Amino acid sequence: MSVALVKTHFNLAKTAIKENRTRSFLTCLGIAIGVACIILILSLMGSISRLVSEQVKGIGADLIVVRPNTNKDTVSSVVAELTSSNAYQKSNLALSDVSTITGIENVVAAAPIAVATSTVKTEKNTLDSVTLLGTTPSFIDIQPLSLKDGSFINNTFESNTAVVGHTMSLLLFNTNNPIGKTLTIHGERFVVVGVLREVEESINFNNVDFDNAVILNASALANAVGGLQVQQINVKASNTDSLAEVSDKIKNALVEAKAGETNFGVYYGDEITHPASSLFTVVSGMLTTVAAVALVVGGIGVMNIMLVSVGERTHEIGIRKSVGASSQNILAQFMFEALILSILGGLFGLVLGYIFAFFVSIATPFAPYINIWILVITFCTSLAVGVIFGIYPALKAASKNPIESLKHYR
Amino acid sequence: MGTTNTVIELKGITKRYGYGDTESFALKNVDLTVRRGEFIMIMGPSGCGKTTLLNTIGLLDRATEGSYVLNGENVASISSRRQAKLRAKKIGFIFQDFNLIADLPIIENVALPLVYTGHSKTAQLKQASSALSRFHLQEREYYFPYQLSGGQQQRVAIARAIVSDPEIILADEPTGNLDSRSSHIVMEELKAIHEEGNTIIMVTHNPSLTTYATRVINMLDGQIDTDVKTVSDQNLPKPVEERKTTRRTRKKSGRKK
Repeated sequence: MSVALVKTHFNLAKTAIKENRTRSFLTCLGIAIGVACIILILSLMGSISRLVSEQVKGIGADLIVVRPNTNKDTVSSVVAELTSSNAYQKSNLALSDVSTITGIENVVAAAPIAVATSTVKTEKNTLDSVTLLGTTPSFIDIQPLSLKDGSFINNTFESNTAVVGHTMSLLLFNTNNPIGKTLTIHGERFVVVGVLREVEESINFNNVDFDNAVILNASALANAVGGLQVQQINVKASNTDSLAEVSDKIKNALVEAKAGETNFGVYYGDEITHPASSLFTVVSGMLTTVAAVALVVGGIGVMNIMLVSVGERTHEIGIRKSVGASSQNILAQFMFEALILSILGGLFGLVLGYIFAFFVSIATPFAPYINIWILVITFCTSLAVGVIFGIYPALKAASKNPIESLKHYR
Repeated sequence: MGTTNTVIELKGITKRYGYGDTESFALKNVDLTVRRGEFIMIMGPSGCGKTTLLNTIGLLDRATEGSYVLNGENVASISSRRQAKLRAKKIGFIFQDFNLIADLPIIENVALPLVYTGHSKTAQLKQASSALSRFHLQEREYYFPYQLSGGQQQRVAIARAIVSDPEIILADEPTGNLDSRSSHIVMEELKAIHEEGNTIIMVTHNPSLTTYATRVINMLDGQIDTDVKTVSDQNLPKPVEERKTTRRTRKKSGRKK
C-alpha cells in the first residue's frame, strides 16, 4: 500500500467519523471505559510499588526480606485467604528460622513478622479482629518505628509487654497515653509499654498497618493464641555491598535448617517492593474483570457501528470497486475506520482513567502514576480491540459484490 | 504488436444463473471483437443481457464460460485483485444514475480511479482538475454532487471515466436519467472523446442516439442478434498518439511509487 493510499484511507476514516460525531463518540465511550479501568489499575499498582520502594529506601539499602512462597498474585487464592477465618495461615517459616538467620555472618539483626487476628479486651472496650503483630525487640533496629511515648517491647518474661499503634490506642483505651494499662488476649494479660507515632503508611512492605496494630513478643503471642505463623522475616545486613552474598547465605542456612525445603524466597532491593496487599489484589482483580467486560462490550459497540457504517455505505463500496478499488483496498478503508475509533476510545480512556485515579488519590494514599509502559499498554489494548472487532465488518465490506452494491440505494 | 488495433476479444462468453431446472442464461455464447476507436452502441429489450455483457467487459462480473482477451491479456480467470487493478487503469465506467459519492466534492469523485493506482494526492487533484476543466466544471471543483444538475453530474462521471486515460469507456445508458438537452450535451461530450481515438461501448434504449455510433449491436435473449458497422475500420478515428504519449509521461512524472 502506498503512502498516498494510507493517507487517503486515514482521511476517509476521519471524515466518516466526523460526519457521525455522536455515534462515534458513544462508540469510543465503550472502549474508553474499558481502557480507563486498565489505566486505573496500572496507575494504582505503579503508585503502590513506588510508595513501598520509597519506604524501603527510607529504611535503608541494607534490608533483606524472607517471605514464604504463597501465591498471593492469583485472585482466587487471595479470595480464599480472605474468606477463611484466619487470614494468615499458610506460611512455612517458623520462629526458629529467625535465630538461624541471626547466626549468619554479616547479619546485624533479624526480626519475624507474625500476624494474628484476635479479640482484644481492655477495661473499657472489647475489639474484634485486632491485628496483632508478633515480633522480637530487634524489630525496631531494622525498621526505625518512631515511638510517641514509652519504650519498645522487651524480653522480660515476667510481664508480657505490648506496644500499640496510634489509632489502636484510641480504639482500645480511648486515650493516646495508655502506658501501664493492660489488655487481655485469650485470657493472657499484656502491659502496654509504648505508643507509636502516627505513621499513615497503611501500605508497606510488611503488609501491616502499624497505626492499627498491637505489637507483641512473638513467643508471648504464640502462647496466647496457640501457635503462630511467620509471614515475613526482616533482616538487616551489616553493609549494602554484600546483600547478594548474605541473602545467598540466608537461603542456604534456611534450606539446611528446614531439611531441604525451599518453599520461601529471599528478597532485597527492588524485589521487596512487590505489592503484597491482599485487598489490593482483590480490588485490582475485580477492576481487571470489569475492564475486560467493558472492553468486550466496547468492542461489540465498535463492531456494531462498523456494520451499520458498512451497510450505509454499500453504494459507495460499489462505486469504489467499479472504479478500481480492490477488496483489499475496501478492507483497509474500513479497518482504518475501526482502528481510529478504538484508538480514539483509548486516548479518551487514558484521560478518563487518570481522572478516576485522581479521585481515588484524594481519598487514599495512592498518587496517580504514569510511565511509558502504561501508554504502550493502552495503545496496544485499544489497537487489539479495533483489530479483533473491526475485522468482521471490514471483511463484510470487502466481500461485497460491486454490481449488487451499485444497485443498493442510499 | 500485430493485433494492436484489437482492444477486446470475447469468444463464447456465456453467463449462466442456476443449475438444472432453474438454469437461465444472461449471455449465451457471445463472440465480440472490438477494435480501437470504435463507438459501439448495444441495443435491445430489457433483460436481453446488455448490462451483463457490459459488466463482463468491465471486469465487474465474470462469465461462466468463454475467453476474454483485453489488450492482449487473457483476463477471463485472473484474480479479483488484478481485475480491480485493470478496472482502475484500463476501464472507465459511466452509469445511468451517475454513481458519484455524495460525501466527496466532485474533484475527489473524479480523482477516485487515481486513488487506487498509487498516484500522489497532488497528482490526483491535478489530473482531476484538468479533466473537469475539459467539461467546463473547473469552477465547481469543490461542489458536492447534490449541488449540481443531472447533466453536470453526468459530465463529472464522464470526467471520472477518462481521468486515468483508459483503454475503453463503458457507458450504461448514460442519458437514461437526463432531459433531452442534457442528453445532447452528454452525447456531444462522448462524441468528442471518441474523436480523440477512445473506444466507447454504450448501452442504450434510445434508437435516435445510434447516429453517434460507428457500430450498432442488437441483442436478443443473451445473444447478438444483429451487428452493423456504419463506419469502416479504416475510417475509425486514429488515436492521437502524440497527445497520449505526452500525457503518459506527464502522468509518470507525477506518480509516486
